[in-house]
Amino acid sequence: MDRRSFIYRSLRGAGLIVLAALPFAFGRALQPDVGGKKAPINPAINHHKLRPPGALASEKDFQSACIGCGVCAEVCPPACIQFHQRDGGNDANTPYILPAEKACILCGKCMEVCPTDALTVTDNVQVTMGLAQIDRDACYPWVDHGVCGACVVACPLGDKAIEFDFATLYRPVVNSACVGCGVCVEVCPHPSLPIRIIKTTA
Amino acid sequence: MTAVNNVDHVQTKSGKAPSRPFFLWRHLNKLRWLSLTCVFIMLLLLPYISVYQNFLSAHAYDLLPAADKSLYDIMETITDPFVTDPVNDLDAIKGTTWSASFDSYKLSDPLAVVAQIAAAKRVYWPFVLTALLPIIFTVLLGRFFCGWICPATFLYELNTNLGLLLEKMGVRTGHRRLDKRMKYAVLVVGLLLSTAAGSVLMAAIYPPAIIGRELYYYIALGGFGSGSVFFLLTLLFDLLVARRGFCRYLCPGGALYSLLGRYRLLRIKRLVTRCNDCAKCNAVCEFGLDPMRDDFGQECNNCSACIAVCPTDAMTFILSPQDVAAQGPGHLGKRYRSTQQASLASASDEQVLNLQG
Repeated sequence: MDRRSFIYRSLRGAGLIVLAALPFAFGRALQPDVGGKKAPINPAINHHKLRPPGALASEKDFQSACIGCGVCAEVCPPACIQFHQRDGGNDANTPYILPAEKACILCGKCMEVCPTDALTVTDNVQVTMGLAQIDRDACYPWVDHGVCGACVVACPLGDKAIEFDFATLYRPVVNSACVGCGVCVEVCPHPSLPIRIIKTTA
Repeated sequence: MTAVNNVDHVQTKSGKAPSRPFFLWRHLNKLRWLSLTCVFIMLLLLPYISVYQNFLSAHAYDLLPAADKSLYDIMETITDPFVTDPVNDLDAIKGTTWSASFDSYKLSDPLAVVAQIAAAKRVYWPFVLTALLPIIFTVLLGRFFCGWICPATFLYELNTNLGLLLEKMGVRTGHRRLDKRMKYAVLVVGLLLSTAAGSVLMAAIYPPAIIGRELYYYIALGGFGSGSVFFLLTLLFDLLVARRGFCRYLCPGGALYSLLGRYRLLRIKRLVTRCNDCAKCNAVCEFGLDPMRDDFGQECNNCSACIAVCPTDAMTFILSPQDVAAQGPGHLGKRYRSTQQASLASASDEQVLNLQG
């Protein structure tokens, strides 16, 4: 093989690789920017997008394990699972839960159907979706705007997760057993949602 | 030598008429369309069932708007004969052709498994086992998924028909022929990119995965996602550049199935004694193969379209791990007869006289 044909052949090979990568480039470039088009006053916009219960601890592991089949959302009774569209490349088509819009009820169906065990079957109390946090400058009982406690009543895990604490004169306080399902966020009557779930896994 | 019109009067060397292929194989193509339609209808139905289950578990019937109420009623009518406790029983069939679960048994696309192994850089056996059954069937039957199940094939073949209609109306559509090996490059590059990115990128460009997902997004989540734009582009590519171009030249799943089905047992064979070289099989072959010259190769998906279209019943199924070697021109065709006459002319006059009677 002479030099000229060697150069041509290697150029052709490189061209073929670029051509083969083109569909992936299209797939990336054409994803609509769903997150940016939301109404700016939507209080949910600053909330963390949580992984469904039982998700692998490391975000990288989850991204590489999830094949984006969407069965978790299909079986979800409250239909709380949504899908990333363009919030960072590797998240495409992976599930998330935004409790401010619709919260997880910890029924465990998504963990059972996940084919790759990116959502591993986990006991209710050992789920680590996140941890609730109360903004004490806005929450009704904390600013003395009457008695509320919607979050305490709605919590599926009871007193160990969130309770009217004696030490704070019976205002809602989050305890360590909280798994971050987000039912409290969904029921919170305050328009700015002073309770939110903070993601605890990286 | 008299012209032979009826195929069954053809005599072979042994003096026996060549056997007709089993008569039902001509109608297998209709069964294939039925199968494709059923899969597509299921993909439409499952998201609606999911929505119906959401309504059920929320006990929301009285609060629903009129459109959702009628959806609820329709789904209740459809599913009522099959289930007693719809909230749980309807979970028996879930998912798409990318990955589905049938009552705790899960089936996945082999491409999903390969891409996930590439992305995670480790083998998770419970997931690999979900693709075991599809892999076994592909090894035995070849690319049958492409022709019999794939929801994209359903739309792409309708797209082909649309292209033919446009041609009749005078619009020019694309008939370019590209290099078929390109799809293997797409597969390899996609796996390498998946490894580099650490996520299953294949799911974003694989039409069967896209269609199931986008139908679910549209019906249950209230809007098409990113993949629909990509899928529309592939439809345009098929229409304007190359007929069935994505499946033939670009689909990574098709590439994987072709490799798995290379030594498949079920193949299509041309009966050379019945063939008249009309090339109808080449015209209908969705994958641009050359059945008339016995060139099937690993990319044939046993769709049986060539069997259905053959006017002389010259196509049949065989069980063999290898294709039949090229058999030359069909015995009812002009080319074969002219070569025969040439050889006859070179033979002794007596023989020719005998034959011509």
